[in-house]
Amino acid sequence: MSATLLARDLRYAWRGRTVLNGVDLHVGSGEVVSLLGANGAGKSTLLRLLLGLLRPATGAIHLDGAPIASIPRRLLARRLAYVPQVHVSPFPYLVRDVVLLGRLPHAGLSGRIGPSDRQAADAALTRLGIEHLAERPYTEISGGERQLALIARALAQGAHLLVMDEPTGGLDYGNQLRLLDLLRTLAADGFGILKTTHHPDHVLHGSHRVAILRDGRIVADGPPAEILTRPLMRSLYDVDVEPHRLADGRLVFMPATAQTPPSPRYPQSHPSESPA
Amino acid sequence: MSLARHPLLPLLGLPALLGAAMLAALSIGRYPLPVDDILRLLGAALGWRPLPPEEFEVLYNLVVRIRLPRVLAAVLVGAALASSGAAFQAVFRNPLVSPGLLGVLAGAAFGAALGILLSLDWLQVQALAFAMGVAAVAIGVGIATLFGDGAIVMLVLGGIVSAALFSSLLSMVKYVADPYNQLPAIVYWLMGSLAVADLTQVGSLALPIGGGVLLLSALGRALDALSMGDDEARTLGVPVRAVRYTVIAAATLVSALTVSLAGMIGWVGLIVPHIARLLVGPGNSRLLPASAGLGALFLLGADSLSRTWSSTEIPIGIVTELIGIPVFLLVLGRARKAWA
Repeated sequence: MSATLLARDLRYAWRGRTVLNGVDLHVGSGEVVSLLGANGAGKSTLLRLLLGLLRPATGAIHLDGAPIASIPRRLLARRLAYVPQVHVSPFPYLVRDVVLLGRLPHAGLSGRIGPSDRQAADAALTRLGIEHLAERPYTEISGGERQLALIARALAQGAHLLVMDEPTGGLDYGNQLRLLDLLRTLAADGFGILKTTHHPDHVLHGSHRVAILRDGRIVADGPPAEILTRPLMRSLYDVDVEPHRLADGRLVFMPATAQTPPSPRYPQSHPSESPA
Repeated sequence: MSLARHPLLPLLGLPALLGAAMLAALSIGRYPLPVDDILRLLGAALGWRPLPPEEFEVLYNLVVRIRLPRVLAAVLVGAALASSGAAFQAVFRNPLVSPGLLGVLAGAAFGAALGILLSLDWLQVQALAFAMGVAAVAIGVGIATLFGDGAIVMLVLGGIVSAALFSSLLSMVKYVADPYNQLPAIVYWLMGSLAVADLTQVGSLALPIGGGVLLLSALGRALDALSMGDDEARTLGVPVRAVRYTVIAAATLVSALTVSLAGMIGWVGLIVPHIARLLVGPGNSRLLPASAGLGALFLLGADSLSRTWSSTEIPIGIVTELIGIPVFLLVLGRARKAWA
């Protein structure tokens, strides 16, 4: 299983405002690609274009060489899956039923769910280690578990390319790290993953490539440790962060010390508690 | 929730329960009949065991000519309102939505009132109610597509505008109506009644209403996906716009038909889907048929009450409201957890 999603020179405008102005991007099997950009940079718009939910003004998006606009929706859904941000459904569908929705592109709108569909859903639940949640209402599990259920649904679709909108958003610290590990494992199994994120540390942890979206273009695309530099971070987010290399060679960003407010108006500790 | 683990139980049990309820509804009334008599009439009608002609005539008159149209109308109207309510709740991702959301009831009410004001005959009044109900939804959807590309919020707002427009038109008709003959007729019609149903009319509406309910039920899985969000549904291969407008069209046609048949009957489309959800779970491919069955049962019960409660008939709209409110509170208590 090898799949590639390739976007060339995408331009898109909304209500007269140029959102994307010539975006080139690709994601293929075996890699986790992070899309980094400030709020309003057009990350969500780009994802929606890549999923075929919006049409670019100019430019083309190809899935394994074929323009996605020429691929019928149901066939596209078997190869390219969307994993939305964790949300709450107004109705308490069982987790198994949410995952079974991933079989819609196979069974069709009014088609019956067959044994092969149930097998695929069970396999996806097992792959993500949430088979014990199958009979629980989607509304009653935690945010981290809901994110796993949505990924399981994408796997049940049979898609090998996953487009994820802020998969770590709304998750607690532990679940964020576990999710990043899961994405890397999926990539090792041949999935191609494109995700948006707001955390440079999440890019450094587990992404093979990072693409920087700024002013409607991809201004940099490459290995995170090379792309993420202090000047880039400053230009992207208007903050000063210092890169630190750990003993094992990994890179982390820390806020520059000068940025930490000294808070002169408040004493560091209560006078009666001070030892001297 | 234990029933939800046996998906076939409610779906097989409901038709049986409904059949029994229909038999019971046929037997009660101002002249109570033993169920035995109804079965004997059925046997005679099918040519198994002939009855004496006089007895057959009396039973036939009472059961087939008088009670059967009402019973069938209750079943049709209840099934239609409840299943279109459930479908609307999925399409609008809101468990508090009822089939009247886009203005169909307000439009139909105006149409019927206008027909009564113009002294049209009963069939024309019904036709006008149906037409205005459909027109109101068309205006609401038109506003939504004109101003907001048909987004959910705009549909809701368009429906509110359209419903408000037709409510004010209805007030105008009431204001100019003759207060001795027309106004009481309008008010009575607005409270709903199954009394005017006759067998041919019920028969002619059975096909479109039944077809609409089946169509909605067939879209169950697509509605599951749709209720998660437009983008998600589309990336799962669901033609979002087509499904949404099919549901709106089918639910509108079916609700407008029920209004033209029986006037305004509230609460069924709002509360029955909740009861059905407690029984079979929220999955729409089971929820929609279950809502149809429970809606039929609910309205059958309400109509039986409305015609036996006191010596004069109580309008069924009042009965559904009186039963509906405590049932809704009960359901609210059970469902609160899911909405939080």
